[in-house]
Amino acid sequence: MGYKNKKNLASFAVHGTLIMISFICILPILWMCLISIKPTSESISGFQSILIENPTLSNFNKLFSMIPVAANFFNSVFTTVMGTVTSLFFCSLAGFAFAKYKFPGRNFLFYFVIATMLVPPEVGAVPLFVIMKKLNLINSLWSLVIPRIATAVGIFYMHQYISDVPDELIEAAKIDGCRDFGIFRRIILPVIKPALASWASVTLIARWNDFFWPLLFLRKQVKYTLMVTISLLPVSEGLSTPWPVILSGTTLVIIPIIVLYLILQTFQKAGMMAGAVKG
Amino acid sequence: MLKTLNKYKAPYLFILPFFLLFLVFQLIPAIWTFYISLTNWKGIGTPKFCGFGNYKKLLIDNMFWDALGNTVEYWITGLLFILVLSVLIASLLNSDLLKGKAFFRTVTFLPNICAAIAMGLIFRMLFDENVGLFNELLVFLGLEKVPWLTSTKYSRIPVIMLNVWRNTPWFTMIVFSGLLNIPRDYYEAATVDGANKWKQFFYITLPSLSNILFFCSITLTVDSWKIFNESYILPGPGTSNTSLFQYMYESGFNIFNMGYASAIGVILIVILAVISMVQMTVKKRQGEL
Repeated sequence: MGYKNKKNLASFAVHGTLIMISFICILPILWMCLISIKPTSESISGFQSILIENPTLSNFNKLFSMIPVAANFFNSVFTTVMGTVTSLFFCSLAGFAFAKYKFPGRNFLFYFVIATMLVPPEVGAVPLFVIMKKLNLINSLWSLVIPRIATAVGIFYMHQYISDVPDELIEAAKIDGCRDFGIFRRIILPVIKPALASWASVTLIARWNDFFWPLLFLRKQVKYTLMVTISLLPVSEGLSTPWPVILSGTTLVIIPIIVLYLILQTFQKAGMMAGAVKG
Repeated sequence: MLKTLNKYKAPYLFILPFFLLFLVFQLIPAIWTFYISLTNWKGIGTPKFCGFGNYKKLLIDNMFWDALGNTVEYWITGLLFILVLSVLIASLLNSDLLKGKAFFRTVTFLPNICAAIAMGLIFRMLFDENVGLFNELLVFLGLEKVPWLTSTKYSRIPVIMLNVWRNTPWFTMIVFSGLLNIPRDYYEAATVDGANKWKQFFYITLPSLSNILFFCSITLTVDSWKIFNESYILPGPGTSNTSLFQYMYESGFNIFNMGYASAIGVILIVILAVISMVQMTVKKRQGEL
């Protein structure tokens, strides 16, 4: 076998395997979208489920009559947006302090922050519930925002990025009379935009998909996030499972975040490009 | 002391939120969990101290041992499949021969964006004994239908598949960034020396990735012991696929046996601490060799 042939074969194998993997990655999502627009009269079993003759939105109508979609959607959007904005602010602020200030105990405190990652907060779920009750935060969306406005992973990520910001920028700002928080707001935040964009997309996805904490802290249906409300769908109609309605619910949860991710991804690239040109 | 504090007011103030939140929402709950685990607290009324009674009960609780066994199974299978697949997919994505890199990177990352709860519902239908695609495929291949979610024998498979499907992309991305950092001249030198692609993979790629793979295995381990969503949304009969963390949640918030649930929480903390210590020691040894 000649070199050219061997290369062609390798290229074929690489593309073939990746196409197969991509197929496995999108098949469940695609299949979900197809079932969600299927009328109840058409078969949902097996391979026939892929054929759609009369696409309809009736499953979504049924879903809207079963659960308070508008309220739950708002709750999800609120916790996701508030969670992300506060996390971006507090994580970059702490990351800035660790990266650019020399203060007694800095290294110890930084390792301490990293070490906290090894104790997952979930193991303290029982007392955490009691604390939230004492703080009057049960059934409040803030219970999902406040505990995680400054996370160890976020601080670590921001620290790595801010360490690369040249000290000269900060020195120059100091000479111009900028104080601590001013430096953060006027110098650091604009420079680390690409890091903020990528951390934003990670946090947005995590918050939107969050399930355990909302399940624990939200105890009324109007206060549920979408994720909690759709998890209850399979039991809400008795014996026969209304699969198309359930899958219209999952479509409602999955598609917005995929779209948002694709939008943010282009921003992320644009941000990094801008940084490269300036730098 | 006060003078130092005043001089470094700004940085201390900037990192204060994290430490406050850690104290209130992580450290105090962790210690409090240990205290509650020594009582028979039912969620209301005053807790009565009962020593290690809850732990003794755990030792003879079959459901607890089931949950522990299932979690170990999720941990080991997840570690194995996710690490191997992420190295494979990342290497493919990094191949010089590949056209349309951006497209494949985006598509193969999509599973990680989808919520485990939503995907769990979809998997529930895919694995349905009568209408599911998986059984249809088995019949098409001339095999018997399998009661995926209704038999104690198979009910963990959908959970493992969901876990691997959703989490591989994240680790693929981490391994991929590791591959980008390997200097290209290593490979060029190896090619000149006549090493083939397989040899290059085992002698250059894998050793260069060892730190990243170590990092991945730690995060994967901590995540695996916390598995909840996947098994919650894909329930099998009885405790056939209940995870340890899920058993803790159910003991505490369905049966309101807070003392018992807290004992499970403490065991989880201990297990995670031991695993990370073992991993750190192994890492140190490797470093010295």
